[in-house]
Amino acid sequence: MTSAQLEVLLQTLIAGVLLGGLYALIGIGMTLIMGVMKIINLAHGELMMVAMYIAYLLFSLFHLDPYLSVFIAAPLLFLLGMAIQKFLINPVLKVESILPENQVILTVGLGMVLANLATIIFTSDYLSTPVDYATKAWYLSDFWRSSPIELSLSYPWSVSFLIAVVITLCLGFFLTKTDLGKSIRATAQDSEAALLMGVNVDRMRVITFGLGSGLVGAAGCLLIPIYYLYPDLGGQFTLIAFVITILGGLGSTVGAIIGGVVLGVFESLTATYIGMGWAPVGRFVIFVAALIFLPGGIASLLQRKRFGR
Amino acid sequence: MRRVLLVMTAVFVISLFAAGAFAEDFKLSIPLPLTGKQAKFGEMMKRSYEMAAEEINAKGGIKKKKIVLYFEDSGAKPETARAIVEKLIDVNKQPVIVGEYTSACAKAVAAVAEERKTPYLIVASADDDITRQHYKYVFRQNAVNAHYGDGVVDFLRRVVKPKTIAILYESSAFGTSGAEAMVKDAEKLGTRVLMKERYEAGSVDFRPLLSKVKAARPDVVYMVSYVMDASLLMKQIKELRVDAKLFAGGAAGFAIPEFIANAKDAAEYVISATLWTPQVKFPGAREFAEKYKKHYGDYPSYHGASAYSALYVLKNALDRAKTWTPDKIRDALKATNMKTVFGPIKFEDREGYQNQNFMDTLVIQVQKGAFETIWPAQYASKKYIYPIPSWRERR
Repeated sequence: MTSAQLEVLLQTLIAGVLLGGLYALIGIGMTLIMGVMKIINLAHGELMMVAMYIAYLLFSLFHLDPYLSVFIAAPLLFLLGMAIQKFLINPVLKVESILPENQVILTVGLGMVLANLATIIFTSDYLSTPVDYATKAWYLSDFWRSSPIELSLSYPWSVSFLIAVVITLCLGFFLTKTDLGKSIRATAQDSEAALLMGVNVDRMRVITFGLGSGLVGAAGCLLIPIYYLYPDLGGQFTLIAFVITILGGLGSTVGAIIGGVVLGVFESLTATYIGMGWAPVGRFVIFVAALIFLPGGIASLLQRKRFGR
Repeated sequence: MRRVLLVMTAVFVISLFAAGAFAEDFKLSIPLPLTGKQAKFGEMMKRSYEMAAEEINAKGGIKKKKIVLYFEDSGAKPETARAIVEKLIDVNKQPVIVGEYTSACAKAVAAVAEERKTPYLIVASADDDITRQHYKYVFRQNAVNAHYGDGVVDFLRRVVKPKTIAILYESSAFGTSGAEAMVKDAEKLGTRVLMKERYEAGSVDFRPLLSKVKAARPDVVYMVSYVMDASLLMKQIKELRVDAKLFAGGAAGFAIPEFIANAKDAAEYVISATLWTPQVKFPGAREFAEKYKKHYGDYPSYHGASAYSALYVLKNALDRAKTWTPDKIRDALKATNMKTVFGPIKFEDREGYQNQNFMDTLVIQVQKGAFETIWPAQYASKKYIYPIPSWRERR
């Protein structure tokens, strides 16, 4: 392998891991909701879009850095998610209907409403937050003068990645160490048993939907400095989150993190060595492969190891 | 009582005729998209038509007739555009049609106009096929897609003389046709196409693709992208320090103000094809652009300039036409040879096109955060900057 080839490979891997970190944060919210409610929230990308508009408004009105708007947009999305669960999904759960998964259909409708509301309010123009550090990067040759290869690490992408990692760690701590987190996990494992053990399952559902929305809201704030924004952006990311959820094993947060990174790296490798036009194809190859060969997702691999089977 | 009524009616009718003889208006209905995705361009064209009509009327109208404009919203839907034009020709008896924006609509309108033997002047629709169907009554004043990149190709041939080129394009009809045209042009230039890579519009991360470009070391990187992909590409090119002798864009995303606003300093020195700029040295271009900006707060793109000029082309033809029947107007349009804000306009039959105006397409370059016209030299507002500094040299 020549140094040029090595450079391309390493740069591709760096890009893949950074992209994967962001994907993981987008996917983890959907996985959480999936685990507790057993439904796929198909308005997931649209919720992210809402958070991005909040970040955009804060940036254009108050010049607030998009990374700082995480602290405003994520809590707002948390409240929005709780409201959606409480006033829209919970009532639908209680209704007998012909379709078993009518809550899923509700989320589709919700996504459409959000996208169209955004179109009415902000028009379908492309918006972005042109931050000063958008193209800043660290270069290997700046640190190691005689380096035979040149690698670069994007400043905003690295910051987004690090914040995503921190948020994920906090979530892990919350789920494993706190009472509330344990109750959520109990609800996810067996809602009836949890109910018998005195867990307020309805409340856990409301909190989980809020948490999932808040997480994807945070992901939106991390995405906007490196991407851009328009009302119909949601669908694309709902799809990515969906693939990650399936790949990670429905409802497993650790699985979603690994799934996100695997997807990011796989997409980058496809783009480099097969062609960038094939990246969406690669995404669905992974999706179908996961369904056929690994129906339990990455979570089932982890479990197998844990129980020594 | 009845007699009085009769007299009154007679007087009324006579006065109507009399009034008509003195100040008959020339009513012109223009179909264009005022709602939907293309509304932005429709709006710009509407304003430009209105500005032109106002000016023409202030100078005495066409053969002393006042132009009165009406606008019909087609919503960029071919079937609506078709219905509008059928009504204009069959019911309103309008002897000439001007307007529309998208190629799909213009195609539909052109078919109706040809069938009804009514001249139709196309203003901003670029699909090659429209003026290749041996239509007698369809005229087009803007350049066709196939010639869109002429200016850039000429610039490459005379100045850059590239040995290799990498072509990146979005996987749409627009992107694919743009890339194909460049492959053909590269062949003529004797430039080797190192890579021709497709990407999905709306992608987040172009780095894998760009590191491949970096390793291939092409002389020129040519990109056909829409709005935001263009700025994302340049931003990531800057970040990866992909160096080439020149970065060129195939119009669209690279030729609009949003490109500079988003890509910021990464946009510097990038060139792009375009049909018209506010600085171009056609008589009246500057004045038109400034007047438009004064009224509406922003510079118009070529769409506006073309629409504005279209009314002058029409006035010119109507002034020369003996009677205003569709056939006489058609003959007058065919004989058009005039200078407008949009450049010289002459409808020719060549290269398999009929009634097509062939124009010089321009090249713009981002210099100090603004678009400057750099090619062809006679239209340039600033001299081109070439060779460009490498990313490392830029601060």
